[in-house]
Amino acid sequence: MFTELNSILNTSPDSYTRGEFILVSDRQSDASFLIHHFLSFYLRARCKVCFLGLAQSFCHYSAVSQRLAKEKGQLVFFEGLKECLSVLTPKENNVESEAMNFLRDPPVGLRSLYEFVRSSVIGSDNMEEGAEQWGPSVLLVDDLSVLLSLGVDVGAVLDFSHYCRALVCSQVQGNMVMLVRCNGEEDDDDDGDIGSDVLLKGLTHQCNLNLHVQGLPTGYCKDIHGQMEVCWKRRQGDAPHMQKNLFQYKVYDKGASFFARGTSSAVL
Amino acid sequence: MLSELLQGIESGGFLIIRGKLIHILCFDVSEEELKDGLKPSDTQRLHIHNAYSDPLGWTGHPNFTVQQFSLEDLTNLVKQTSQPKPAVLVIDSLSWILRHKTPPAVCQTLQQLRKGGAVRAVIGLLHTDMHQRGTVGSVCHLATSLISVAPGVKGKEAVARVTKRSKSGKVMQDEEIFCIAEDFTVTILSKPSHAEHKTNSTEEEQTDPTANLTFNLRLSDSELEAKQKLTLPFVFSKEKKTALLHPGPGSGRILYEPDANDDYDQEDPDDDLDV
Repeated sequence: MFTELNSILNTSPDSYTRGEFILVSDRQSDASFLIHHFLSFYLRARCKVCFLGLAQSFCHYSAVSQRLAKEKGQLVFFEGLKECLSVLTPKENNVESEAMNFLRDPPVGLRSLYEFVRSSVIGSDNMEEGAEQWGPSVLLVDDLSVLLSLGVDVGAVLDFSHYCRALVCSQVQGNMVMLVRCNGEEDDDDDGDIGSDVLLKGLTHQCNLNLHVQGLPTGYCKDIHGQMEVCWKRRQGDAPHMQKNLFQYKVYDKGASFFARGTSSAVL
Repeated sequence: MLSELLQGIESGGFLIIRGKLIHILCFDVSEEELKDGLKPSDTQRLHIHNAYSDPLGWTGHPNFTVQQFSLEDLTNLVKQTSQPKPAVLVIDSLSWILRHKTPPAVCQTLQQLRKGGAVRAVIGLLHTDMHQRGTVGSVCHLATSLISVAPGVKGKEAVARVTKRSKSGKVMQDEEIFCIAEDFTVTILSKPSHAEHKTNSTEEEQTDPTANLTFNLRLSDSELEAKQKLTLPFVFSKEKKTALLHPGPGSGRILYEPDANDDYDQEDPDDDLDV
């Protein structure tokens, strides 16, 4: 969990806005460090976390706290990579999870994956006695663009995120964090719709908060790894207009630091 | 023109409600989000049809699905309130519907709604960056009034380009800067200053290098005259040409008488060959 990011977003594990859809996007960069931040943030906030790990296995995210959380039942981790194998190479005694059945039949869409999310978010209400009470449910997805590479239509992914938002943000009043990755330049008019760009635009319309990570426009720098644009939308209670802030960041071994443009410790 | 448009439909945008009977078909936002910030007196006159929670029928008991976006279903929906007057239908958003139904079908439904009597006016929201230009163009072509919103120069302002097609065929276009206050009233600020843009595009004035110097580089009028009268030494004017070609009396002449030393024969340097 990055304390500087918490102060930028004006949240803390003790007080955060509920019912928010946070979109983490990157273009020719890697924003997955933000997913690590949000995972530890919501685990520390004692929320029940449903994590769709489509890009990496569980070991990638496991710090000590995550492993404990999984054992205690706070974290439901969906291993996309393992489930893919079980769908593609079915064995007799393997109980096949329906969640990834879009691999066999992409036009079907992501309804089964949504059903999995629904069961883990709503199913947490029926708990055994003696189990710990966790806070509101949180859905983390890493990352959505993998689904595009697996043959799912952009419309289907947008429907999936819409349904997840209706379920997690509006119905259960929990939070949702999704990672979307784009490659390629913006304003690529020649190709028409590039799937990941259309997906990013659609998700940007749906989200409350967008953290867009990019490389520096001036090129590679050893001390500054990139810039992050924080874009607030649909803030309840405020006037309906957007607010954008630009920060630069540097990723360390155990964290990341964020600072305003031009105020990197290497410069000052 | 924006304010006329907003008042003519008797509801400003899809956020400001001042009209009589308004049905809102919500795909993009939940009912709570839509009602957030509106006064209870306004929300009472709204009939919000929730198509947000289950637009594709995945949960098994949907309220309104996207497949129901057709003339009959919409007419039934609007007539549910059993009011004699035709209502205003607000659709949030058309982009959602266009993702699931073909553009021709959507355009056909919109046109049928317009011609049918159940709905007085249809207000739709379209996210143009989500669709191809052709789709956007087709849907916009159906509309009698089109308000395109773009971000303004300053944070809270936005620029609205309004196109209005009247029944007589006249098309009026206008561009205005507006901002929306917290109570959702629209304030038209000003027209965007086109003059500013034009001066930027004309050539910049040449800066005067002889200004702000500690010494004088400028010429007075008499000096300027003298300068222009001056003939340059290596410029061939007509007078100079004639002077050179026809030397007048008194100019230097060169007289040459060949000397014996000048008669140097390369093949007979000592001049003793009997050739």
